[in-house]
Amino acid sequence: MIRKLLPLLLAPLWLAAEDWPHFRGPQHDGISREKNWLTDWSETGPKRLWEAQVGIGFSSMAVAEGRLYTLGHNEGADTLYCLDAKTGRKQWSYSWLSNIGAKFYIGGPGSTPTVTDGRVYVAGKWGEVSCLVPHPKNAGEGQVLWARHLAKEDQVRVPTWGFNGSPLVLGDRLLLNAGSAGVALDLKTGKTLWKSADGEAGYATPQPVMLGGQPHVIVSSGRAYSAVKVADGQEAWSLRWFTRYGVNAADAIVDGDQVFVGSGYRKGCGLYKIGAELTEVWKNKNLSTQMNAAVKIGDHLYGFDGDSGGPGKLRCVSWKTGEVVWEHATGFGALTAADDRLIVLTGTGALMTAPATPKGFKPSGRTRVLDKDCWTAPVLAKGLLYCRNSKGHLVCLDLRRGQ
Amino acid sequence: MQASRRRFLKTSAAATAASFAATPLLAAPGKKYRTAIIGAGWWGMNILRDAMAHGQCKVVGICDVSEQTREVSAEEITDLNGDQPRKYNDFREMLGKEKPEIVIIATPDHWHALPAIAAIEAGAHVFLEKPTAHTVEESRAILNAARSAKRVVQVGLHRRIGPHHVEAMKFLKSGKVGKVGQVRLFVTGGGGKEEPTPNSPAPVGLDWDLWCGPAPKRPFNRRLHPGGWRHFLDYANGTLGDWGVHWLDQITWWSDEKSPKRVFSSGGRPVRGAAVNDGEAMTSDTPDSQVAIYDYEDFTVTWEHRRFAMNATEHHRYGAYFYGTEGILHIGWRDGWTFYPAKKNGMKAHGDPRFDNERDGHNLPPLWADFMKAIADPKHTPAADIEPAHRSSVLPMLGMISYRLGRSLQWDGDKEQILKDQEANQLLRRDYRNPWISPKV
Repeated sequence: MIRKLLPLLLAPLWLAAEDWPHFRGPQHDGISREKNWLTDWSETGPKRLWEAQVGIGFSSMAVAEGRLYTLGHNEGADTLYCLDAKTGRKQWSYSWLSNIGAKFYIGGPGSTPTVTDGRVYVAGKWGEVSCLVPHPKNAGEGQVLWARHLAKEDQVRVPTWGFNGSPLVLGDRLLLNAGSAGVALDLKTGKTLWKSADGEAGYATPQPVMLGGQPHVIVSSGRAYSAVKVADGQEAWSLRWFTRYGVNAADAIVDGDQVFVGSGYRKGCGLYKIGAELTEVWKNKNLSTQMNAAVKIGDHLYGFDGDSGGPGKLRCVSWKTGEVVWEHATGFGALTAADDRLIVLTGTGALMTAPATPKGFKPSGRTRVLDKDCWTAPVLAKGLLYCRNSKGHLVCLDLRRGQ
Repeated sequence: MQASRRRFLKTSAAATAASFAATPLLAAPGKKYRTAIIGAGWWGMNILRDAMAHGQCKVVGICDVSEQTREVSAEEITDLNGDQPRKYNDFREMLGKEKPEIVIIATPDHWHALPAIAAIEAGAHVFLEKPTAHTVEESRAILNAARSAKRVVQVGLHRRIGPHHVEAMKFLKSGKVGKVGQVRLFVTGGGGKEEPTPNSPAPVGLDWDLWCGPAPKRPFNRRLHPGGWRHFLDYANGTLGDWGVHWLDQITWWSDEKSPKRVFSSGGRPVRGAAVNDGEAMTSDTPDSQVAIYDYEDFTVTWEHRRFAMNATEHHRYGAYFYGTEGILHIGWRDGWTFYPAKKNGMKAHGDPRFDNERDGHNLPPLWADFMKAIADPKHTPAADIEPAHRSSVLPMLGMISYRLGRSLQWDGDKEQILKDQEANQLLRRDYRNPWISPKV
């Protein structure tokens, strides 16, 4: 009855499983299905294939059909960069005027582009949403198929740190974390199909979930995680979840009929059983995921507990009980997973990989790839690993075997 | 019936107070004080958590003009020790209903005086965040209220009790630095130009009118809240009023002289750029670089802050240099304290910091314990008592008045008047926005 929105809606993406066409990857869970990539790193680490500067921000990388997409800020403008995924060579870019939005952090865009059928969907920090393709005539430029401004046109309230959730494509619509529980646009035209009541959006990306046979998305606001129907925005359930500064930034994690949420600023986390209402399975302070959600592998969650700038810890937490199985004093960071392994990038730029196991954290590879601040999860696509820091230093590491 | 009952309560309260006074050291060791907080954001909760950890608080009320903050903080309190504080938007309602014995105030500077005085007059002891207030008159009014109601007011100047400060001050007072003729206080950092941030609707659940309260009402801007207000002169006194008061307080703590005779300050926004507040967008408006000179009878104190360029030419980024005939004593923050002898063969000395909270680098727990001691024992003067804290808090206020007027001020610390300068004296106070009435001295 309740299951993850998988094969049907996402069928086209599954065929290109090695791509990573949007935030948190093909299955929206931070886990790549790539296997057989290089896990034993020498002292010098994997080969650096290329590096690029992509502007200030926390946008992660979307990789599709040989192209990499990310966002960054430079001197009053935000830019969508399209680079060749293998060489880092710039293919095209598109810029728009934007405030950097620095406030207790460096600022810059925080959402990740979403790529479907050759079209790139971008959610800007202040309510700009657009659909782009490479310009058919002007090489190096992007062409806008449609552009919207949710704040100006739909009077959607901009939250304190701007919009940071990434756009989610589901069927014929684009779902955004805006308002109290999301906004849906027509994928082809950008027209607003529905919008939720006035409220401050949270900073997570809408998470797809099937409820009662109907596609829904779980959207965070500053005060709740709510499941709303993709068709009309109708709320199925809402979990009261007040977090300091309204920073509900980590995506909800759904498995079967259970949903996990976690937030930073000492808020903690909880596992809930989905029914007509949510019922608490457990709630504690063991996995306060401030920005990036954890990954669930087997019966365990792996993620960062604690806030940026503080003594963050990489933790393994039991899904069933919420107990901490192990922790590692890495400091704050972000991670992704592939082939039952964690790929961990600490806030200060140390990259590690280790088996994802409740038995402990034993990295088989460790290398320093970037300077601080790395709050963006690394992305693995077609054997290439992409890491960036807040200043827009993007590095591509070659994890292909036999290269 | 009513009257006699009221009289009975009054009498018994007086009797209780009397018995406390008679046996101060036995004052109910297990007693839990009804505690309330006004301003329950990041710093307010830092104080409250340490207060709760000390073990003599029952948190009964939580007041904040942000629903978000109230909800989050109330939940955290319940998670910490099971207390279930009632939540209030307006401090007046909370003080009336909860009758707290202790009130923590950690609001922006412009919201210190009225809640502090109301809490004191309602019979509470107050833990007040630094600086004491936004204007000299407000600060004096709090001090007067505390003295006339005989309530303890501890100010959050935790650098008076932090172990490395105590150690360094002992070293300084021992004479090992020699005769001190000059003190330099400084805070440096990095930074660049500031782009204006567009104004926006106030967040849902934030009572913006009440947030502005007695101060001018600006349009809402995300740079002001949460956090950020320190760099808007309508609500605070910038870096000098924030960091400055901590380091200037080391002078008040050290010196026998109660006040400087003359104050001059200059600075500006050469890097951040001109302040903007054009109805559409705003920037902060406090100086990104500032120097202030405080002339005491026996020595001169300079303040210097810079929010760009860092400070790579020196050992330290923050703190106080006491220049004496025997050498230089640096009292810092995360770098502890260090004595640099004048003589080549002199002995260097150093003490590492010992923070109770490593992340935020502070020593609130001993300051709270000292506050509780002063409540239980009237003979114990609290470490950061409102009287010296008032004198320290006045120093940045005077610096900012000089900065605004562009001239030096002759200060009469006993009368708390600026001599021969009516315009400057006007800035020791300000008119409140309706319907708020400024406290009278």
